Amino acid sequence: MRPTSGFARALTIGVAAAVVVLALDSAVHVLMAQNPFGGPRPSAEPQVGGIVGWLLSKQSEFYREMSSTIRAAKSDGSAVWTLLVISFAYGIFHAAGPGHGKAVISSYLIANQETAKRGIVLSFASALMQSLVAVAMVGICAVLLNATAKTMCGAEKAIEIASYALIAAFGARLVWTKGGGFIRALQAPQALPVMALAASAPHDHAGHGHDHGHHGHSHPHAHVAHRGHEHHHDGHGHDHVPGHVHDEHCGHSHGPVPSELAGPGGWRRGFGAIFAVGLRPCSGAILVLVFALAQGMFWAGIAATLVMGLGTAITVATIAVIAVSAKDLARRLSGASEGGGALIMRGLEFGAAGLVLLFGVGLLFGYLAAERVTCL
Amino acid sequence: MNNFMRGLLGLLLLAASCALGAGAAQAHPHVWITATSELIYAPDGSITGVRHAWTFDDMFSTYALQGIETKTKGVYSREELASLAQTNVESLKEFAFFTFAKADGKKEKFQEPVDYFLEYKDAALTLHFTLPLKTPVKPKELALEVFDPSYFIDFQLDDKNPIKLVGAPAACQLKIQRPSDGTANAQKLSEQNFLSGDNSNYGAMFANKITVDCP
Repeated sequence: MRPTSGFARALTIGVAAAVVVLALDSAVHVLMAQNPFGGPRPSAEPQVGGIVGWLLSKQSEFYREMSSTIRAAKSDGSAVWTLLVISFAYGIFHAAGPGHGKAVISSYLIANQETAKRGIVLSFASALMQSLVAVAMVGICAVLLNATAKTMCGAEKAIEIASYALIAAFGARLVWTKGGGFIRALQAPQALPVMALAASAPHDHAGHGHDHGHHGHSHPHAHVAHRGHEHHHDGHGHDHVPGHVHDEHCGHSHGPVPSELAGPGGWRRGFGAIFAVGLRPCSGAILVLVFALAQGMFWAGIAATLVMGLGTAITVATIAVIAVSAKDLARRLSGASEGGGALIMRGLEFGAAGLVLLFGVGLLFGYLAAERVTCL
Repeated sequence: MNNFMRGLLGLLLLAASCALGAGAAQAHPHVWITATSELIYAPDGSITGVRHAWTFDDMFSTYALQGIETKTKGVYSREELASLAQTNVESLKEFAFFTFAKADGKKEKFQEPVDYFLEYKDAALTLHFTLPLKTPVKPKELALEVFDPSYFIDFQLDDKNPIKLVGAPAACQLKIQRPSDGTANAQKLSEQNFLSGDNSNYGAMFANKITVDCP
């Protein structure tokens, strides 16, 4: 029976992983299909290329309108409102294309058993930070120092490397903590391993109806939580690595209740994610800010950048919520069996942690293409 | 356990490939260039190089001019822009000058750019530079593409006479394919492109293709 059950587990994980990946992948498409800007809903057999192409052309359109709108705003105050609307729309569209920011945030949320609420807060905080970094950079380089584009591009490159290194470090730390939980879950005695496969099949829902109600609603993942909690304390020493951003709740795997979120250090947990993602300013925002500055409309550029960030935050938050929901689904599917379920969830978290590390390293060494810095 | 680890590895690979595909999809242009180019021929009918004139959009032009001191505000002389032109051509080197030439199907290389300068007119900067071919060629068919593979820069050929043949044999025929007018054999975006991770040449869909046939 052993080899079969091992295979069953692998299969279950594959299913859970596919759910998460497909959910993330479709997130973009769903968003595009239901965008609030009156774009045509794709037909029954939507051509992905069509949607992506349309998305790209919309982004370009909004972006190109910004310069003429800033010019117009010099003489016509009402054009500022147009500028804000365009910037907001650009922010939403810009973030809808897959990018490292939402990938890191989504992976972090999955790795850390975070709530949708926290996902939304993280998305907004990192987008706000991104906007503020852009404003600060142009404010210091262009306004105070009157630096050239070449100097600014150098600064952008330095910030970019720092940001990617932070993501990699953040990912390494997640891998370290989550790896411990995962290995302990592997070593833990597996109760009814075959159940894992049975529970992963959607048609078994009816049969496990009572269980699901219990695990999924009244006491979310109670057994998983206890296991994770205990193991966390076992390995508490490992958690104190330099750059520790989490408080003692780290690795505590039951979903935080609202009182915990507001508790001491509650929001501090996500600072690492916010900082790593929000540090790198968007090239588009910097171009807009410098352009606005040259037109004597720096304040309009700042307003546009902040509104752009708001649009970005809405899209990233939507994707983050979808990621968290997908994980909840995976948890419910695997929750019926104690041992196998915990193992799958720990494995999923470990995988998500590895993904954050992969993103950081990939971006740092140029394996992953991010938006280029404007250096010409 | 082995099977389990294999499953996990599969998960990571799957996720990584998604991430790789995601990288390029993020790209959308931040800089727009309106290009005109000249193909320069030697008296014997061989092609010696390409002379570009690239006009940047007003947002990027303004960005590039940030911090450049001038005698008269808003007026930039060629000398005042010399250091920026130098920066431009140095940066462009990293991207192979976004200029890709094939002579009878064989890739041709370019030397360092010469005769480069910037011009400021109507709130836009125009970068002029000449790319000499490493070795002059006399092919039956020359194919020239101008595009940014990562699509950070959008290249548009100018509406009127974007390509000139300077000193070409009379029999040579010029053909231009623009990405927007549907004549370009642009590779259709498909989910496959985005998930396969093969996006290194993503911007090729937006390439301007120029072919010169000299029988």
